[in-house]
Amino acid sequence: MYKAEDQTQLAAPPVVNRRILRVLGTSITLLQSVRDQARADLGFDIVFEQMDFLDCQRQAAMRPDGYDVYEQCFHNLDIVWFWGALQPIDIARIAEWNGISDLVKLGGLSKYAGRGRGDAPVKKLYIQPGGFLGSKPSRHISMLPTVHNMDSFGFDARVFGAGQDVRPSWAWLLDRRAKGRIALVDEPAIGFFDAALAAEASGELEFADIGNMTIDEINALMKLLERKRTEGYFCATWRDGDEAAALAEGGGVAVQSMWSPVYGKLRNSKAHFIEAAPIEGYRAWHGGASLSRHLRGAELDMAYDYLNWWLSGFAGAVMARQGYYISNPARARDHLLPEEWDYWYEGAVAARDLAGPTGDVVVKAGSRRAGGTYTDRARQIVIWNTVMDEYNYAARAWDRFVRRVQERGEA
Amino acid sequence: MIRSANPLAQEPRYELIARVLRDNIVAGTLPQGFVLLEGPIATVMQTSRVPVQAALRQLLDDGLISRFDGRGYLVGSATAEVTPTRRDIRELELTIPPMVDDALQTRGTWRHVYDEVEEEVASCQIFGEFRIVETELADHLGVSRTVVRDVLARLQERGLIRKSATSHWIAGPLTARTVSEKFELRGIVEPAALRLAAPHIRYAEVEALLDRIGSDPAITPQDMGDVLMEHCIAQAPNTALVEMIRSNRLLLSAVDRALIRLGLPPDEDTIEQYQTLLDLISRHPIDSACEYLRDHLSITARRYLARMKIVAVIPEAGAFAPYLSPQ
Repeated sequence: MYKAEDQTQLAAPPVVNRRILRVLGTSITLLQSVRDQARADLGFDIVFEQMDFLDCQRQAAMRPDGYDVYEQCFHNLDIVWFWGALQPIDIARIAEWNGISDLVKLGGLSKYAGRGRGDAPVKKLYIQPGGFLGSKPSRHISMLPTVHNMDSFGFDARVFGAGQDVRPSWAWLLDRRAKGRIALVDEPAIGFFDAALAAEASGELEFADIGNMTIDEINALMKLLERKRTEGYFCATWRDGDEAAALAEGGGVAVQSMWSPVYGKLRNSKAHFIEAAPIEGYRAWHGGASLSRHLRGAELDMAYDYLNWWLSGFAGAVMARQGYYISNPARARDHLLPEEWDYWYEGAVAARDLAGPTGDVVVKAGSRRAGGTYTDRARQIVIWNTVMDEYNYAARAWDRFVRRVQERGEA
Repeated sequence: MIRSANPLAQEPRYELIARVLRDNIVAGTLPQGFVLLEGPIATVMQTSRVPVQAALRQLLDDGLISRFDGRGYLVGSATAEVTPTRRDIRELELTIPPMVDDALQTRGTWRHVYDEVEEEVASCQIFGEFRIVETELADHLGVSRTVVRDVLARLQERGLIRKSATSHWIAGPLTARTVSEKFELRGIVEPAALRLAAPHIRYAEVEALLDRIGSDPAITPQDMGDVLMEHCIAQAPNTALVEMIRSNRLLLSAVDRALIRLGLPPDEDTIEQYQTLLDLISRHPIDSACEYLRDHLSITARRYLARMKIVAVIPEAGAFAPYLSPQ
């Protein structure tokens, strides 16, 4: 609405250079409430540029001058870091560094906890001599670890059943009961592994190392997927949460890759479309924020302020309300209601209706998060989202498969 | 078969193009600061862009042209005083000797076109597996099928293409496994060749290069790699071994050039490594240099594999020549 200008001021306000921080990222972290609070707390303007995973990664690699901070996942550092698009982060400038959990610093919840296969974030965390990334601690890191989660799939309880006796398995993504009603997330470092887990869980294939598959293994997986595709198993692929929600709501999908916030978006299908805690374990991912290579001086300071703000609690609480964890949970807890903390982190029954990031109720009182507590879920990580050695080959094969699934959908 | 009487028709096209540009720069027809672009040069020369790219690289190595903060190359060196001139090269009336012009338009022998085909066939492999259709390649190059067969035979000999079970010519895919195998082979044969070469190494050339480091900022890792290969490793008194090393490297270096053309930053941070290596070669027992070479190759292999992952974000559309059909 147009508002008349205030005429009572006699002098024009002093001209100040608008300070703007440009953040490139995905729907995982670029939330309105995060931006509003960060602007208020930090005193400079922040613009978000949101893209899907693949476009975001391409943009980050090829046009580093177009952003200041890059918010994405550790696994795609293999692309963006080696393109030379980012600059090291000095951990001496990160106030909360010591509060960041061992899941990211060690690769498991403790020194003795199991590690998932593939690109555990610690393998890409520290900058090593020669510009490589590795797990040996050093003063500089490639990405500040922030949000993360253990992903699984969602299923229609009317097809697969519900209750204590039902043991969800990744094999359901290739299950005859869901034939023609299966969807996968279209991202070759993510959906590819949902399919690979399904292939192993169903006994169709076995990989020596699912986190670094050989050409023959990739060919075998693609051949299996192609066979299932021609038999009519897959109905769609999706790239963001809204697409995933629409597929579940539309009723055409009985089982599909899922991300946590999508459950909060469900309405009609909420009662029967259920988050799985797979018996084989989870596919995990870890997000974070990186600095563009061009940042210097005051701009770099602003970016560090923003990174530090991310770990100061508010953003961690917003992430929790969409089902994601933060790398330093203690600070987020200060910004969560006890009932929220208990439900999201402790796996307790929701003592009241809980709101999501936009204020809508996403969890009904009395419900319980699949998989239990944060530590229980983290112990069950079997693989991390990964850019394998043969990624270029796998990604192109995956892309051809996805295009064929989509052509069928349109036909 | 039509064979041209023009002796220049035996020369690679990029050599001819480089010669024309060089002569025109020396004569002043192409003035200092003039911006050279691949496309317009290809139009003037009536060739594809590939030989033009190779010709420009040659002139860059010779120091006749330079890169600058913009598209294309600058005639002369890019200093603050030089203002880039952007004009259509067709307005300049370049001198193109009739013999060269004739040779550029004559597609006599396989040598004439081989290098550009090799470049395209090597670089497509990062995108997957391709079939080369003989007739389409002949049309593309404007040559006879006999010439095409000579070209394909040479490509096969150099390990860049193979025949499928159904007798189709297949190139690629270049996988991480291929790269690892090639580097593993390099780690075995190159230090061995270096050891054999020790009594024959051209130490004067190595010393000369080492002396230039520090005073000559124009030295590139490429220059140092060339000295290592030509004046050291290739001096091994075993031609079969040297030939094997060259052909094993072929695909790797062709792909590397392709990656840079596609916009990847060049692999950096190796001048110091070459310096250490050349220093070991010229001033120490050869064993230490062989050890260092092995380590150097394993680090290079890791870098190369990292670069291979990056390629996945490059879209395929328009990236390869029309005679290559994706399989």
